[in-house]
Amino acid sequence: MAEEAKFKCLRCGHEYTDTYTPGVPQERTCPKCTSNSVRRMKEK
Amino acid sequence: MMDVGRHPKIELLTYSEIENVTGYIGNFHVNVRKKARYVDEDACTACEKCAEVCPVVAFDEHQLGLASRKAIYIPFPQSVPASYLINMEDCLGTNPIACGKCLEVCDPKCIDYDEKDSIIELDVGVIIVATGMDVIDPTVLDEYHYTEFENVMTSWEFEILTGPGYVTGSELLRPTDRKVPKSIGFIQCVGSRDDKRGHPYCSNICCMNTVKDTLYLKEHYPDMECYVYYMDIRTFGKQYEDLYKRSKEMGVRYIRGIPGDVEEDPETKNVIVAVENTTTGKLEHHELDMLVLSVGVEPRVETADIQKILTLSKAPDGFLAESHYQLNPIDSPTGGIFLAGCCESPKDVKGSVTQASGAAARAERLLSQRRVKVEAITSEIDPDLCTSCGICVKVCPYKAIRIEKKKAPAEVIEAACKGCGTCAAECKFGAITMKHFTDDQILSMIDAMLEEKPEEKICTFACNWCSYAGADLAGLSRIQYPPNARIIRTMCSGRVDEKFIWYAFQKGAPVVLVSGCHFVDCHYIDANRWTQKRIEKIWDKLEQKGIRPERLQLEWCSAAEAKRWQSIMRAAENLRKTVSKQEIEETIRILSNGDKPKTKAKAEAKGKKKPKVTAASSE
Ligand SMILES: [Zn+2]
Repeated sequence: MAEEAKFKCLRCGHEYTDTYTPGVPQERTCPKCTSNSVRRMKEK
Repeated sequence: MMDVGRHPKIELLTYSEIENVTGYIGNFHVNVRKKARYVDEDACTACEKCAEVCPVVAFDEHQLGLASRKAIYIPFPQSVPASYLINMEDCLGTNPIACGKCLEVCDPKCIDYDEKDSIIELDVGVIIVATGMDVIDPTVLDEYHYTEFENVMTSWEFEILTGPGYVTGSELLRPTDRKVPKSIGFIQCVGSRDDKRGHPYCSNICCMNTVKDTLYLKEHYPDMECYVYYMDIRTFGKQYEDLYKRSKEMGVRYIRGIPGDVEEDPETKNVIVAVENTTTGKLEHHELDMLVLSVGVEPRVETADIQKILTLSKAPDGFLAESHYQLNPIDSPTGGIFLAGCCESPKDVKGSVTQASGAAARAERLLSQRRVKVEAITSEIDPDLCTSCGICVKVCPYKAIRIEKKKAPAEVIEAACKGCGTCAAECKFGAITMKHFTDDQILSMIDAMLEEKPEEKICTFACNWCSYAGADLAGLSRIQYPPNARIIRTMCSGRVDEKFIWYAFQKGAPVVLVSGCHFVDCHYIDANRWTQKRIEKIWDKLEQKGIRPERLQLEWCSAAEAKRWQSIMRAAENLRKTVSKQEIEETIRILSNGDKPKTKAKAEAKGKKKPKVTAASSE
């Protein structure tokens, strides 16, 4: 099931929320700079 | 279909489903479930007596519910074989006391209520997938009141109404009053070319289907008023423009504009359409006896199952992806499997016949040669180092690795291996060698790259098909990108082993960039999903070690995206400038203090062959 998750672009530092389905890889693109170096920020 | 049914060398398994496919090019093993028909298809004479006495009246799926059928029925008039079958969900007869009427009247005694599904096993050399498409369900986009107004129907239902010998006999009758309509409108692109609802792609066949329908109507009912509401009419095929012109000459009115509002006259049940004619700029109202929604097409719902069973790839539109959309449009990415017709993309009869003929020729070439040439770039497993953990089996997009017996070393099926190298990158025990892209070769390249002034270099891994080609195109197009980028080519980004990345950092790389195809373009079905997974893990590890994760960049770039390549490399260069010498030295210090790699330690402990590669840390 899709859930909301926080993502951070490792190129420009932009942080945003998007849907995320565990176990289903998805091509992610930073909405600000179009980089694919988008990291899902895990709850600490 | 009849010719196929009669052909001595073709075995037609109708009313059957593929359950499982194993094996590889030239050696597929297929399990087919042949569903019980409850009627012996060879003995049945299609005398119809059974259907006459059957008391059940059910929804006729083939005629979209515009007609009914019995529980024992022939699916459609041209069915092959032309014999009856029983739908057990409708039938009362499993308990003969309840009914059993068909059995009583059947002279050849070919009905067997106890028949069971059977599993047929086939060994085949090649497979052609021709599973077709579905039509978009217009109930989800109901602004034309399809679910409310009886005289609004889809183009598929219209096809049923106008088909020979179907529901309303030889005449086209409108549903509400069973009279020949005097006026008909067609709305194009319902569910197609819409980013928000339906599908963004053009369904390819709807324009010409409407042109054909209007020609049919004008030939049979010259006085009928016909309107076609459209965005563009696409008549791309041979002689299609002539048909379109003929339709216009016969009096069909083509109005550029999609109706915004559709109402029904409660008395006459006529449909009133309001449309802005964008050619004249005027708002027009048309009262029509019938309105046909020219619905688009979409991938069959079973496509995901077929994709999984046959290890195929899906394009972003949901249709099955071909090996290469221009240069290899018939082959699937998996060797020995070919695509024909609308399972690959929406196409008309001619397009389907062309692709199917091509697929048959491709299949025949392979079968007649009885051998297949494979690329030399395949992986090789060292049985001494293999622990049979099965990770390589799991990550191989082509099911080209097998473990025959429990604890036996994994084996590569060379004919099925396409050489992406994901298995070699994922093997924790250094047991897999990717020929021509071995660990030694790649690590030596990293050594050479970072031998002098490593702090000035951008260590880049690029996949052969997309990002390397994108970089190449940038060069050819004189699109400049930072000259300190050093590129190591791998067949797929899936080959970029974690140890290469650690090694590069250990050798002083300020930035490591891993690039590959966009997900939809991956030349190895889904191998680059493993790249992403791996990079995500390494980001976490970098952070844990106190190294900035952003120093490892991941980018997808297609062969056509030279400009994107330029911006990726410029961003990497900007990032590189932020990495100081001290930071690099600190990274080297952290990594040289790191744990010994498991691969080496394990092999040494076992007293087996040492893997040739050492990495800083790959816990
Ligand atoms: Zn960004």
